[in-house]
Amino acid sequence: MKKNNMVAMILAGGRGSRLFDLTKKVAKPAVHFGGKYRIIDFALSNCANSHISTVGVLVQYESILLSSYSARSSTWGLDSKGGGVYVLSPREKDETGLGLYKGTADAIYQNLDFLDQEEAEYVLVLSGDHIYKMDYEKMLQEHIDSKAEATIAVIEVPKKEASRFGIMNTDNTDRIIEFEEKPKEPKSNLASMGVYIFTYKTMRKYLKEDAKDPASSHDFGKNLIPAYLRDNLKLQAYRFKGYWKDVGTIDSLWEANMDLLKDNSGLDLFDPDWKIYTDDVSATPQCIGEQAKIDNAFITQGAIVNGEVKHSVIFSGVEIKEKAKVEESVIMNDAVVGEGAVLNRCLVADGVRIPDGMVLGNKKNKEILLVSKSFIAKAGEENE
Amino acid sequence: MSKVLGLLNFEPSYVHVKGIEDFRPISAASILGRYRVIDFMLSNFTNSGIDSIKVYIKNRPRSTVEHIMRTSYNINSKRGRIHLLHGEDVFSNNDLFNVDILAFKTYMEFIDVENPSYVVIAPSHFIFKQDFSELLDHHIASKNDITILYQSVNDANTSYLMGDLLEIDDKKRVVGASKNHGKYKSGDVSLETYVMSTLTFKQLVEEASMTSSLYSLADIIWDNIRVMKIGAYRHHGYCGCISTLNAYFNANMYLKKEKNLTRLINDDWPIYTMTNDSCPTLYKPGAQVRGSLVANGCQIEGTVIDSVIGRNVVIREGAVIKDSVILPDTFIDKNVKLDCAVVDRLSIVTHIKDIKGTKEDPIYVKRGDRI
Repeated sequence: MKKNNMVAMILAGGRGSRLFDLTKKVAKPAVHFGGKYRIIDFALSNCANSHISTVGVLVQYESILLSSYSARSSTWGLDSKGGGVYVLSPREKDETGLGLYKGTADAIYQNLDFLDQEEAEYVLVLSGDHIYKMDYEKMLQEHIDSKAEATIAVIEVPKKEASRFGIMNTDNTDRIIEFEEKPKEPKSNLASMGVYIFTYKTMRKYLKEDAKDPASSHDFGKNLIPAYLRDNLKLQAYRFKGYWKDVGTIDSLWEANMDLLKDNSGLDLFDPDWKIYTDDVSATPQCIGEQAKIDNAFITQGAIVNGEVKHSVIFSGVEIKEKAKVEESVIMNDAVVGEGAVLNRCLVADGVRIPDGMVLGNKKNKEILLVSKSFIAKAGEENE
Repeated sequence: MSKVLGLLNFEPSYVHVKGIEDFRPISAASILGRYRVIDFMLSNFTNSGIDSIKVYIKNRPRSTVEHIMRTSYNINSKRGRIHLLHGEDVFSNNDLFNVDILAFKTYMEFIDVENPSYVVIAPSHFIFKQDFSELLDHHIASKNDITILYQSVNDANTSYLMGDLLEIDDKKRVVGASKNHGKYKSGDVSLETYVMSTLTFKQLVEEASMTSSLYSLADIIWDNIRVMKIGAYRHHGYCGCISTLNAYFNANMYLKKEKNLTRLINDDWPIYTMTNDSCPTLYKPGAQVRGSLVANGCQIEGTVIDSVIGRNVVIREGAVIKDSVILPDTFIDKNVKLDCAVVDRLSIVTHIKDIKGTKEDPIYVKRGDRI
C-alpha cells in the first residue's frame, strides 16, 4: 500500500572513525547494536513503520556488508511492489564520469535522477547512525500543514551539552531563523537530529546550485540549510520527544547499549506496534547454564552464558565461559569470554576471543575500553 | 544426484499429547522456546539438499500453514518448493480411517508432476538430526527396495509406545516388525523414516488401498517383509518421539542443556524457524535464572530454574519457575510458583499461586487460559 510519496534517503557512507577498530572493515551503520541489531535497522524500521515504501541507502565507505545487508528489503518489510531498498553507491555517469560523494548534499545531488524516477514529492533525509524510534509520517503531516520548504527534527538537549550539536534558533512559531553548527555560546537548546524533510522541487533547485559552487563543502548543515535561510525560505522545526542517540563514539555506543537495561530510557524495544526489524539468524535460544549468574542483562538468542553477567548487553553467538565475570560491558557477536576472565566497563568487538583468566577494564575507568582483535593480539605480545 | 522428493507424513493415531493436541497437530507445537516440532524434520530435508517437500496435514491446518508460509527453510525460492497438502475432504471423523495412505493416494498427482526417482518419507512427530543424503546413498548402494531408519534404544518400555519395533538380522535386513507394547526395555525402534524409489512407493500405496482402508504405509511395508528387500539404517544421537505430553516435556528438559542442544543444532546443521522480530530478553534486577533455555522477547523479574521459556514471556517478581516448560506469549504474575508444569501459549497465570506436577506427570495449563 502506497500511502505517501515521500522517498527516504539514508546517509550511510561515513566511516565513523571515532569507533576505531569497530569500523575498520564495516561502515558505521552496519555496526552491531543492542544484542541482535545493526545500527541502520533503526532508520530502516522507522521508515517501514512510517509507511514509507521507497528507501535509498547512500553507501561509500567499506560498503560490501552494508550494501548486501540493506538490499534485503524483506528484512524490514520494505519489499512491497513499487517500493524497496535501493543501495546507492557512487557510480560512473555518462556526463560526469565517476565521482565520489563529496558531502551529504552532494550524495543526494548525485542521485537526483533516482528521485526524479521515483517521482518523489518529498524527500526524507536521515542519518544511518542514530538510535531512536520516530514516526516520520507525523513529521510529514506537520511539514505539509506548516507549508514549509524544509522541516528539521529537533530535540531538546541540556544547555551545557548544546555546543556539541547543530543548534536551531526558532521564533515562537517554531520557524527556524538561525542555524549554528556547534556554537560556543548556544542561544537555544534545540539540537538538530539529522532528520530532514524537504519539498523535493525546491530542494532539487538548491542542490543543483550548491553543486555548481566550488567553494561549497556540499553539506546539509553547512551549505544547504544556510542557503535556504539566506533566501528566507520557510524552515520549520519539528520537536521530537523521546529517546535519540548519536552513537558515534565508543562511549556513546556503550551508553546507548546500557540504556536498554533501564526501565525508563524511553527506548522501548518491546513495543509490538513499533518493532525494530533485523536480519534473522538461525540461532538457538539463549542457554543459561547451571553455574550462570545473571543480574540485570539484555541477552539475545544464540548466546551461551555459563559465567556471571552483571549489568551488561550480550549479543548473538557470544559465549561466556565458567567463572568468567562480565560487568558493565557490551559483548558483541560471537565473542568468547574465556574461563575466569574478568571484564568491567569494556566494549568487546565481534569475534574477539578473550583468553582464560584475562582481566580487562576497571570499574573506576572513566572511558570504556574497546577490546578488539588487535588489542588482544597486542596484549598477547606484551605478555611474551 | 537423482531427483529426490521429501514427504513429511502426519502423525499416526497413536500420538496423543494431552492438552497441546487440542489446539494443533503436534508437528505445529512450540518446542524449546522458539521452534515448532516440524522445523527439525523440515530442516533435515533442506540441510540434506532436498528442497522439494510435500507436507501432509491431517487436521487443524492453521498453525502449520501459517508457520511454514512464514519460515524460510533455506529452500531455493524458484527451484525449490514446500507443498502443503491438507486432506479436508477425504478425512473422516473416525481417526482410524485417517491413514497416511489415503493422503498419499489423494495427492499422488502432485508427486507425478515432479517425477522424482526417490522419495524420503519422514515423520512429523519425531525430533532427530539425520542427513538424508547419507541415508539415500546407503539405500542406493545396498540395492534395498526400502530402507528404514531405526534407533537402538533401552527405554522402549516407557518411550516409543505403540511405535514399531523392528527385528533386524545380522545383514541389516528387516525380517519382522511388531507394535511396541512396552514389554521390553531394549529394542530397535523404527523412526518411521523410509527411503524407496517412487515406483515402489506408488506400488505400495496402491496395494495398501486395495487391501484395507485402515492400512497405513507401515502396515503394507510389513506385509512385504518376505517379498521385498527391506534394509535397516541405524541412526545415532538424540531421538525424541513426541507422542505423549510426558515425551514432550522430557524432550524440552533434555535439550535445554547446552551440550545436548548444540549437538542437535549447530552452524553445520541449523534448524530454521519463523522469526518473530522479538527484541532480546531483559533480565531485570533481582531476576535469577540458571540451567534454563530462554527465547527472545522475555522480561524476567522472577526466578527461573531448569526450565524452558518461550518467546515474549513475562515473569514478574517473586515468581518461581522450576522444571517447567513455558510456551510463548505467556504471562506469569507475581509470586506464582510453577513446578513441573507445561503452560501453553497466551495463557495468564495470576490467581492460582501454586501449580505443581511431577516429572513423570507434568501439569498442563491450557492455551489462552486465565487462571
